[in-house]
Amino acid sequence: MERFNICIIGGGPAGLRAAIAAGSAGAEVLLIDENDRLGGQLIKQTHMFFGSEKQDAGTRGIDIAQQLVNKVQSMTNVKVYLRCAALGLYDDKVLTVLHEKKYRKIRAEKFIVATGASERMLAFPGNDLPGVYGAGAVQTLMNVYGIVPGQRVLMIGAGNIGLIVSYQLLQAGVEVVAILEGSPHIGGYLVHASKVRRAGVPILTSHTIMQAIGTNAVQAAEICALDSHWARLPGSEKTLEVDTICLAVGLSPLSDLLWQAQCRLTYIAELGGHVAWRDANLCTSEPHIYIAGDVAGVEEASSAMVEGELAGLAAAKSLGLARVDVDTAMSQAREQLIALRAGPVGEKIRTGLALAQMRGDEQHA
Amino acid sequence: MRKSAEVVIIGGGVIGVAIAYHLAKQGCRDVLVVERDYLASGATGRCGAGVRQQWGTEMNLRMSIPSVKMFESMNRDLEYDGDIEFKQGGYLLLAYTEVGWEQFQKNVALQQQHGLGVRLCTPEEAKEIVPHLNTEGLVGATYNATDGHCNPFHVTDAYALAARRLGVEIQTFTEVTAIRRSNGQIVGVETTRGPVATKTVVNAGGAWSGQLSAMAGVEIPVRPERHQILVTEPVAPMQGPMVMSFHHHLYCQQTPHGSFIMGLGDPSEVAGFNQRASWQFLEEMAQKITRLLPPLRGVRVVRQWSGLYEMTPDRTPILGGVPGVEGLFLATGFSGHGFMLAPMTGVLLAEAILGLPASLPIEKMDLGRFARGDLFYEPSVV
Amino acid sequence: MRINEHPILKFERGKRIKFSYNGQELEGYENETIAAALHAAGIKELSKSAVLHRPRGFFCAIGTCSSCLMVVDGVPNVRVCVEPLVEGMVVETQQGRGELGGAV
Repeated sequence: MERFNICIIGGGPAGLRAAIAAGSAGAEVLLIDENDRLGGQLIKQTHMFFGSEKQDAGTRGIDIAQQLVNKVQSMTNVKVYLRCAALGLYDDKVLTVLHEKKYRKIRAEKFIVATGASERMLAFPGNDLPGVYGAGAVQTLMNVYGIVPGQRVLMIGAGNIGLIVSYQLLQAGVEVVAILEGSPHIGGYLVHASKVRRAGVPILTSHTIMQAIGTNAVQAAEICALDSHWARLPGSEKTLEVDTICLAVGLSPLSDLLWQAQCRLTYIAELGGHVAWRDANLCTSEPHIYIAGDVAGVEEASSAMVEGELAGLAAAKSLGLARVDVDTAMSQAREQLIALRAGPVGEKIRTGLALAQMRGDEQHA
Repeated sequence: MRKSAEVVIIGGGVIGVAIAYHLAKQGCRDVLVVERDYLASGATGRCGAGVRQQWGTEMNLRMSIPSVKMFESMNRDLEYDGDIEFKQGGYLLLAYTEVGWEQFQKNVALQQQHGLGVRLCTPEEAKEIVPHLNTEGLVGATYNATDGHCNPFHVTDAYALAARRLGVEIQTFTEVTAIRRSNGQIVGVETTRGPVATKTVVNAGGAWSGQLSAMAGVEIPVRPERHQILVTEPVAPMQGPMVMSFHHHLYCQQTPHGSFIMGLGDPSEVAGFNQRASWQFLEEMAQKITRLLPPLRGVRVVRQWSGLYEMTPDRTPILGGVPGVEGLFLATGFSGHGFMLAPMTGVLLAEAILGLPASLPIEKMDLGRFARGDLFYEPSVV
Repeated sequence: MRINEHPILKFERGKRIKFSYNGQELEGYENETIAAALHAAGIKELSKSAVLHRPRGFFCAIGTCSSCLMVVDGVPNVRVCVEPLVEGMVVETQQGRGELGGAV
């Protein structure tokens, strides 16, 4: 059985930064990812980052991923296993994995679970027809494999993901017929909304999909307008000829491994679903398991990266490893998180995290 | 939640709700079931879901045979909208030693006396019943076609819904913190949602029944013991019966859904409330089952978990009243077989509580037998 | 359909390889998934639901939704959205739950 100080599960933005932080502190680190390349969702992000996190503003997600991967690969005390899926995390600090189709076991003193999030489904007749995709799947098809999902797309959801994926579809030469948004307001940033609007894509707020139509695949979608109580406006029904319906209706933390490891989880709507209770260092109710990124609460890549750094440092510190000034680095990471979550935009996250952490502290008390 | 009840049942597993249903059916409707977690959250929802009648003691036979009859008509009898998914694909029990084979022959003779259509099989006959069985080292087997598999969540749901329709109150996420008695008589329980006055308490707390009995000042010989299980992805139906080997301490069954459920008893398991799963189980189970049923090499495991048996010294349930504590009834100590015995347990406990004529000599399964030294010792337990 | 020109991305596709889909010979690239290759070949229906037999296609692309289970080289329930394409693979639509192969 191979042994490490710290094993990180998930090589997305949070896991990469956790690996770099833990490695810098002097830990022997293993970073695993079930895919054949590191970067997680970052490798599908062709847009430039902005917002309050200065260091990555103006950089495309794919380029941020490459920088982090380069850094990880330059560290001799950080080992990476790709095509390595976590199977089970046990209380004797053993992780079972399927690596290159072989079952094996890994022992580590601390684990950082950075498994990210998965897409939510929306309930409507025909939602299981071929041609209905999650937005992440569309991004994978287009931006990883260079394959378009279809010719005429209806996007459901005008949050950042819906807007960005719509723009990416346009870049790939695909027609976006409309973007529907159930609420009266566009959820995503205005910058993204303006870009797709300039390209001629209508964003229909207070609109929803009623059904997907088709026998063996999507041929059309029936949509309607909603009144202020989210009820269908009679007479507003319209049929759009589309071959693709893309769902961008939010994400839920991918917490399966945490459930299996019997961490204490609680449902916090503000964080996207069931999340683990955690202390200020992102340590769960299981003292050998830390969390970072979307699995700790659905946010953005920028905060996921800082959480990864904090968890990596905290896990290393708990093992008495402090090659760098861990305490200073941890307080800097905390300050960055506060800045990222400041203002009215961060209010929902702040509320959710307060719940998750308050309960976490009770748990440890 | 009501402030008083004629009967308070502690434990919302299949045993608790079956007793509640049968009490209400007999006209005793002022019944409160309290469950610390959610219904079937303990051993019921974690069990291997097997239903068998091939037992080695008279009492288990007399409990299990009518229970199967009740499972057969349960959808209808309980007016259940869903389906309890009772699949009677049989049980094939395997013997690997001469001692084991002799025991099976004794068991079958006793089982046949009780009218069970069970038969002894040569290894060749066993392979006809389960063609993918590796018969290496197999001495013989017994097969009973009316044993099978049933969905514990649906059975619990069916009993709970039927009980509620008859007026039973079921409160989940409600924990009993004390049992009150006065001069040898039960007078009430304290719960996390307030006190309830009652003269009758049923302890159907499974692995926690020892702690519950202690609240009433009664010690019972139950020992919580972890047992582990895994379930695979579903594949096309290929195995009718449950395959079970006491020699290997294992069982394996394909559910109607197509997944295989299998479990392993670990003789070195220490007593306790540990309900975690281990990779050691996963590896041992995989090694043993792929030797016994080789095609299962190609099936993927999707989940593993564990649950607690409440073991008694003779691996037979403890049922009925407790001398010296008027109003306290026990329905525990099922030693891993509570789910399949639940229907008859419901009938017997309702009769005992209400003072009705007993369908079976339930007094033989009382707590007193341990003091009397009048034990059963069930030989057929994984 | 494959994207050949993109304003930002360059696709470095692997070697062109052949595989079989329900008896028909198709082509894809090394380093892509079976589902991606099928999709590029215009095949949207990957499986039928087990009970109602409704058509199912590519949905999550991360191996969690069970919408793309197929028989690959005789093995049922393969999640083709995460399974890499290999030269000469035999990919088939799964009937029902899928038969468990393997010699006794």
